[in-house]
Amino acid sequence: MPREAEPSLNEKQFVIQALQSNLRLDGRKFDQYRPLEVSFGEQYGVVEVKLGKTRILAKASAEVTVPYVDRPLDGIFTIATELSPMASPAFEVNRPTETEVLLSRLLEKTVRRSGALDTESLCLVAGQKCWHVRVDVHILSHDGDLIDAACFATVASLRHFRKPDTSIENGVLTVYTPAEREPVPLGWLHSPFCVTWSFYGDEGEIAVLDATWLEEAVRVGSCTISLNRHGEICQIAKLGGTPVEALSLLQCTSIALVRVKEFSALLDKKLAEDAKRRDRGGLLAELSAENDR
Amino acid sequence: MPLDTSSYSLALLRVDGRRWNELRRINAQIRTQAAADGSSYLEMGHTKVMCVVTGPSEPFGPARVGRTGAGAGATAGASGGEAGVVVSIVVAGFSSVDRKRRGRGDKRIQELQSTISSALAASLHTHLFPHSTISISLHVLSQDGSLLAALINAATLACVDAGIPMTDYVAACTAGSTSTYAANDESADPLLDLNHQEEQELPGLTVATLGDSDRVAVLVCESRVQVSRLEGMLAVGVDGCKQVRAILDRVVRDKGRKMVQEGTVQKGVGLEDMEVD
Amino acid sequence: METERPFVLPGDSIDPSLIPVPRQQDAQTQNSKKQAVLRLGPGLRHMAATGAIVPTVPGQLVVDGRKRSMWVESKGGRYVASVGDVVIGQVQRSAGGDLFYVNLSPYTSNAILPHLAFEGASKKTRPQLAPGALVYARVSLANRHMDPELECVSPATGKADGLGPLVGGTVFDVSLGLARRLLMARSREEGQVAVLDFLGDEGLAFETAIGRNGKVWVRSDSIKTMIAVGRALQKTDEDDLSVDDQRKMVKWLIKSMR
Repeated sequence: MPREAEPSLNEKQFVIQALQSNLRLDGRKFDQYRPLEVSFGEQYGVVEVKLGKTRILAKASAEVTVPYVDRPLDGIFTIATELSPMASPAFEVNRPTETEVLLSRLLEKTVRRSGALDTESLCLVAGQKCWHVRVDVHILSHDGDLIDAACFATVASLRHFRKPDTSIENGVLTVYTPAEREPVPLGWLHSPFCVTWSFYGDEGEIAVLDATWLEEAVRVGSCTISLNRHGEICQIAKLGGTPVEALSLLQCTSIALVRVKEFSALLDKKLAEDAKRRDRGGLLAELSAENDR
Repeated sequence: MPLDTSSYSLALLRVDGRRWNELRRINAQIRTQAAADGSSYLEMGHTKVMCVVTGPSEPFGPARVGRTGAGAGATAGASGGEAGVVVSIVVAGFSSVDRKRRGRGDKRIQELQSTISSALAASLHTHLFPHSTISISLHVLSQDGSLLAALINAATLACVDAGIPMTDYVAACTAGSTSTYAANDESADPLLDLNHQEEQELPGLTVATLGDSDRVAVLVCESRVQVSRLEGMLAVGVDGCKQVRAILDRVVRDKGRKMVQEGTVQKGVGLEDMEVD
Repeated sequence: METERPFVLPGDSIDPSLIPVPRQQDAQTQNSKKQAVLRLGPGLRHMAATGAIVPTVPGQLVVDGRKRSMWVESKGGRYVASVGDVVIGQVQRSAGGDLFYVNLSPYTSNAILPHLAFEGASKKTRPQLAPGALVYARVSLANRHMDPELECVSPATGKADGLGPLVGGTVFDVSLGLARRLLMARSREEGQVAVLDFLGDEGLAFETAIGRNGKVWVRSDSIKTMIAVGRALQKTDEDDLSVDDQRKMVKWLIKSMR
């Protein structure tokens, strides 16, 4: 019978003692992330992100549907998260835990509500046809800091994704297969990333980035800050927990901005590498539909 | 809903005639429900909420411990050693302009529940009540912005009324900024206590602090805003929380004084600083 | 013990020359009849129909000619209790007034540890263990479809023999393979793991308890030492370090933590 794993009393006490003497179990600094690995799949929009032992797979897909009645000029964009029992015994199928609800809300607020994807560009025929872009985020293994890794994976998969090219002639919509015309990237406006702080101590005076599962289990509060590299806050969520000094929250935000710039540079680099790998010999560039215009 | 915010720069008055640092009228009552362990009714402008607290009492079922079931509300700290705080929020269909049905599974409501539950659990002395549940149920009667802040304030008052030991009031309010995210003008003013129109139009955040301190229990920002705006907004928000705390405290003291006058309770040692006339 | 350990995959056929044959003189003498029987350890299965021995997990095939036993050494899998194993369990709760439910690994059902299975325990003096406390115990009963039972006392002598509640310290998760190698009597020669010895050679003072369910408990006065031990064990486990690499890794770790 799977059950919710909880660290033993000894472990909880040990983690707190270690943090109080400025040490982390894996030898990292307090504001240091575990190495972040990104790998893209053969298909467009498939990306796997590894943050230490946390593994996340995100896949973007698109299909043509009818737009919502109240928003005839917008496409549809959804993010679906799935925490399966594979990741941790605490998760059950079809029974969203609090973790899952908060994770999907945070992704929603960070990526969707901040307007990272230009949904108006997904409209094909006003009120009749539009693209429905969907990102499925699968948590493959859970060793803490799901939010940051999942957000990175979501953004990476959307930026990597290419939707089929379309054209409208005399009111007839044509969707081209990849063989006919090279697929086109999504209308992307800015790349938000999440940075999660975990707080420890009676007054929340110890702040730690990228907590592992064990560290997350003993934290007294957390604060997720979403930013893009232009220094715009997309969302802040400190949902309860032990109160933390307002000044230290401001400090956390400025450190978060530095981390977000690093994430942004890392993703740009990885995307460029992947584009280079796909564009061997410059063949795709010649075939690209973009040249026609 | 287009709102002409440009008039602000001329008269420095907001759409409802307030200045930048003015709260809306807060009207609160405690002990509104005779049958409950603790209850409160709170109005922040046109946002009206009610709260009923039951407990600390025995948990209703063993399966509920540490888990958010469908419609079960959010729990915090429900391991055996301390009391679990269960929050459930019901949004009345008539509470906003357009009548919208929100199911119990609505993620936004679940997020609010979990936020309130974990914010209060940090202030309540839950370790005094092992193996028990404090159940907080909130009803939203009317929405006009600052919903989360109103819910937190109402829940705090009801917990005070229920006589659950707590560190201090958890007082909340919202703050905003007159600049939109795109504009990077340094002249943008922070605003206190946003109403619905301002919430739609301007960037804003909800802050809750513990008592008179600068310690932030809840900080929720859901709109895009320049990082340089945050400091000003947070400072105004924390200041607003202190004002809200003073108002909540006065409500509790007034009620206590009245009860002493009416002879419902005897004037105790702890009530010495309260003048009865 | 053979030095050569062929790698096998599930369903592979095993080279018959590797299977130990009964020696002539053994078969004749009476008392070695027990030794004449071939013993199959974890990861191997005897197919009744064909008489062949087939691996069921991927790993290294180990053949012990002297004991006439063979098994597959693999790293992963979840812990399945078997009698005689020493394990580190986490107390879930006390139930029924006379037993604890103890968790051995996240995906398995709870084991049962009676209150009276401690050294010197009686109806009046029973141990008080809070939920989340750790115990070092031996599996006393394990059946396939029943919850395993544990004991913290030797039924023969009534002594604890080092078993019992683990106070202080912390516990690190390692793979089942590493836990088994650490528990071998000659872990450096047979198990190819000497990381704890090297840590001790560096002057670190700590005590350990190793659970067959993939848990290692470490206690020391210094938090740094405990972290060093944990990191060294997990590094050895994840990177499959050889004895020489373990020595280098420990040296590097000690240097980096100063």
